[in-house]
Amino acid sequence: MTDTLVDIGLSHDLAVLIAKLVGVFVVATCGLLWTLFGIWLERKVSGRLQDRLGPNRVGPFGLFQTLADTIKILLKEDLVPDGADRWLFNLAPVLSTFSVLLLWVVIPFSAGWIGTDLSIGVLYLLAAGSLGMVATLMAGWGSNNKYALLGAFRAVAQLISYEVPMVLAMLVPVLMTGSMSLQAIVEGQYIAYGLAIPLTVFIFLASSLAEIGRAPFDLLEAESELVAGFHIEYSGMKFGLFYVAEFLHAFTVGVLATVLFLGGWRIPFVSAQDTPALLGFGSLLIKSLLVYLVIMWVRTTLPRVRIDQILEFNWKFLVPLSLANLLVVALLWKIVPDTDQIASVNDALLPTLVLLTANILLIVVTSLILRERGRRERAHIAALYGPVDGAADAAPAGVGD
Amino acid sequence: MFEVPGLGDLNVAATLPVTSLVLGTCILLIVDLFVPTDRKHITAWLAALGIGVLLVLALLALGEITEFGDGEEAFSGMFVADAFTDMINVIALITALLGVMVAYNYLERTGIQRGEYYVLLLFATAGVMFMGAAGDLVVVFVALELLSIPLYILSGFRRPQEASEESALKYFLLGAFASGFLVYGIALIYGATGTTNLHDIWQAAGDIVAGHKSGRFLLLGGAGLALVGLGFKVAAVPFHMWTPDVYQGAPTPVVAYMSVAAKAGGFAAMARVLASGLSNFALDPGEAAVWQDTVWLLAILTMLLGNVVAIVQTDLKRLLAYSSIAHAGYILIAVAAAGTAAVADEAVQSVAIYLMAYALTNVGAFAVIVAVERDDATNTGLDSMRGLANARPWLAAAMALFMFSLTGIPLTAGFVGKWFVFKAALAADLIPAAVVGVVTSLVSAFYYLRIVWLMYFEESEVEVSTPWPLAWAIGVASVGTLLLGMLPYILTDMVREITLAFGG
Amino acid sequence: MEITVEAIVFLVFSAITLGGALQVVLTRNLFHAALYLMLSLFGVAGLFVLLTAPFLAGAQVVIYIGAITILIIFAIMLTPQVTRVLKVHHTQWPVALALAALLFVGLVWTQTPLADELGADGWSADFTVEDPADVPADSLTDLGKSLVDPERYMLPFEAASLLLMAALIGAVLLVNRPDDNPDAEAAPAAGARPDQSG
Repeated sequence: MTDTLVDIGLSHDLAVLIAKLVGVFVVATCGLLWTLFGIWLERKVSGRLQDRLGPNRVGPFGLFQTLADTIKILLKEDLVPDGADRWLFNLAPVLSTFSVLLLWVVIPFSAGWIGTDLSIGVLYLLAAGSLGMVATLMAGWGSNNKYALLGAFRAVAQLISYEVPMVLAMLVPVLMTGSMSLQAIVEGQYIAYGLAIPLTVFIFLASSLAEIGRAPFDLLEAESELVAGFHIEYSGMKFGLFYVAEFLHAFTVGVLATVLFLGGWRIPFVSAQDTPALLGFGSLLIKSLLVYLVIMWVRTTLPRVRIDQILEFNWKFLVPLSLANLLVVALLWKIVPDTDQIASVNDALLPTLVLLTANILLIVVTSLILRERGRRERAHIAALYGPVDGAADAAPAGVGD
Repeated sequence: MFEVPGLGDLNVAATLPVTSLVLGTCILLIVDLFVPTDRKHITAWLAALGIGVLLVLALLALGEITEFGDGEEAFSGMFVADAFTDMINVIALITALLGVMVAYNYLERTGIQRGEYYVLLLFATAGVMFMGAAGDLVVVFVALELLSIPLYILSGFRRPQEASEESALKYFLLGAFASGFLVYGIALIYGATGTTNLHDIWQAAGDIVAGHKSGRFLLLGGAGLALVGLGFKVAAVPFHMWTPDVYQGAPTPVVAYMSVAAKAGGFAAMARVLASGLSNFALDPGEAAVWQDTVWLLAILTMLLGNVVAIVQTDLKRLLAYSSIAHAGYILIAVAAAGTAAVADEAVQSVAIYLMAYALTNVGAFAVIVAVERDDATNTGLDSMRGLANARPWLAAAMALFMFSLTGIPLTAGFVGKWFVFKAALAADLIPAAVVGVVTSLVSAFYYLRIVWLMYFEESEVEVSTPWPLAWAIGVASVGTLLLGMLPYILTDMVREITLAFGG
Repeated sequence: MEITVEAIVFLVFSAITLGGALQVVLTRNLFHAALYLMLSLFGVAGLFVLLTAPFLAGAQVVIYIGAITILIIFAIMLTPQVTRVLKVHHTQWPVALALAALLFVGLVWTQTPLADELGADGWSADFTVEDPADVPADSLTDLGKSLVDPERYMLPFEAASLLLMAALIGAVLLVNRPDDNPDAEAAPAAGARPDQSG
């Protein structure tokens, strides 16, 4: 496209600028249009998972439900609560959507289909993600509502905590590739990293779920306690923007998991050079939807956990585990020969097998430790308050005390 | 992959004193986990033992009897191991040892006995030692923070006592502010010279002075800002405001340690940065260094303010705080003298001598305050000294000795320190500074000797606790003060080898 | 100075940085002050990008905006003053302003002859890279390696890790209540447990 513009007589810089602007427009618009379909998909799937029908009135299979909702939301009255901090209140939803769209700058959609292949891609993702946190805080504070403020409090505690294991998990593919560029990470996955390091995938997904504030970690907006948390005072399209941001963020997590661990746009057994751009894009889309399906599955199945349990789960389980995981991978990556010059599936086979074995060992050890801890905890509770449900495998009272 | 150089190339052996201290501290931190709360004397013993062993080795190294941490430089110029490093090591380790001895029973009786105290104290000591060995501005900065942060925490160790918390907060906020100045100074120096290595800075400064390179203003600004940052750490006027409040509020054993360690670290850094890295930075080639005038003006201000304000203090800890400000002024004279190339070595040696004398005397004086202080942190007023000579003649004698030494009366270590500082000042033609120094020493006699008067010529009930570690600390400090005062050649021998100037 | 795109971008980011910093001091609303701090730090990140140091820019955003300022806001929200707009209680600021102005004028007055003597030469340094193309493209790898290279910054890097450990110990020490029984640490959620069995 740049070449075409240069041909019609524009200067090179201007042509690049226009091409970039068009790219930004296309990606942002497609992203937002995709939400229209995605939200329908999400409602349909979670309906089925919960033994309901989901939307089925507007259009075939309820396909136009989201469209109808959008129109409704656009027509709603725009309310600003009394005593709200107007600037922050209005800026927050925009910033929220903005921060998610920013993530898409560095995502490689296919060979050559990437906004900017930053050398610090992974770091950029974190940086852009932290803007979303700011938006949550601004909304919670600007609304002049105590539930919103409480939601914002929880947001800070939860988001900051879960950023730690997420970063540690993202470091693993960076370490294996030797680059922070997402395109390089995709090209480096002759065998998808997820096959070698399933534990890392789990840590990444779990902490990402907390980062986007989805069930079972949706304490920022826990309906039963905080009504709606930080966006309680929002109505109309401002609420809509939060909704879109949340959905897009969740889907983006699916895309990121695909890019980092499932080979991105690569098609299994086809080399990166031979992958047609369009097919690559399709491959990315399918993989991302599969990951997203898992996220929906978790959301509709697991109940919400308490805030102290959430933080405990993070600091006492995920963080130590991800540190151990990172250390093990780093060590093995150094020990296994020739890991810095992998250029084909055959080269990648040995490291993958070694890492997989190590991962399985790590999982087994962790499970054993957890089992022991759980047993002691149950015995402890039983000693204090009498037997708990499912006390069949609990140790006799008094042992753990 | 990059080539991993052998241990020999890096000269890791040169860093042994500080690396072994750091390793020991980390082990102590873990060991402390398994020491029950009511038996923390084990941690204190281990800390004291470790410091003791290192101190013996450091003294041997200083006397060039063993090769402990010798070999010019390590990590390609990041770490310098010369006679100055050895001397700072000795000062830091003596202070740390006395600090542990002074602290143990105090922590016990005030109910704040925790293993972390000793660990943090050792970290701060490592910071001082790194500072003495810094061959690069990056190391200077990291070492300064490694020294400061444990001190901030130790100041607040008597939480939830309000005075202690206030002291920690004040020290932390102002200290962080001062660190900002230092970093900005380092950035500007880097901007002017394109390096953070002190030797390279020295070369670049030479080029800039000779007019081969530009960037004179940047370097000037950088040197000035770095001086502000370091001036804060040593409590030079006008960056001294924090000192009285922090000294008064922090637990007394912490002050005993901090008043010396922070100064030793700060002056070691000043010696490295100004007297070594920027020693040839003059406005015209051949002149005295450009920072000389500023430093001696600061020194005069510091001596005047410290000594005059100390007169009206009624709290011993505050009084010693102002006295420590005054002493920073005396050492600053020596630093200023180092700006004249001909006397640079002599001046830096006098800095080391003064620090050594000050370390023993000041820790000793604070140790006496620890002895008279009550468990609720009261009884630190001047009145607490009343009638001490009748009740505890030896303790009073030791305190009198420390006061004489701080005044600078002959036959004490303090006199030796002042003698060499004024000698260096005269050699560098800094007559006003030397005159003000002598006059303010006379002024200081008033408040130091008043304490002696109170002890010997007034009567009062005294309640003193001197368990053996504290008694030993006071004993060691007074013997040291006396010994160095009577046999000054011990000190001059220790520092004889010190020379910081590059390339002659 | 020649007006280039870089110059304009530099001016914009500088304005953001300085304006944000100024607002931090001037605004009476603590929460706004924290947000302005964020803006100011964002401007610094922009300056890093301009200096072709993308890693530093990213780290700046992640650490300063994503972690430190957020925690500052968290602390601010815990104070009872959060919803109140601060009032100026003291009347000394005109004196302070006058003194600061006097000091500034004094400094300019005493330093100008020196500056004239040295000329513009004194402000610039010689070692700067003239052409942005000379900046190594992959400065990230270089940065990472130099931090763990014993020939370069390994010593301060390790010393910094000590420093962080000391700070960590201190933080735990200072927030830990003195009367806490250290053995109780094994079950910190003990207070929340009864509702499980109830």
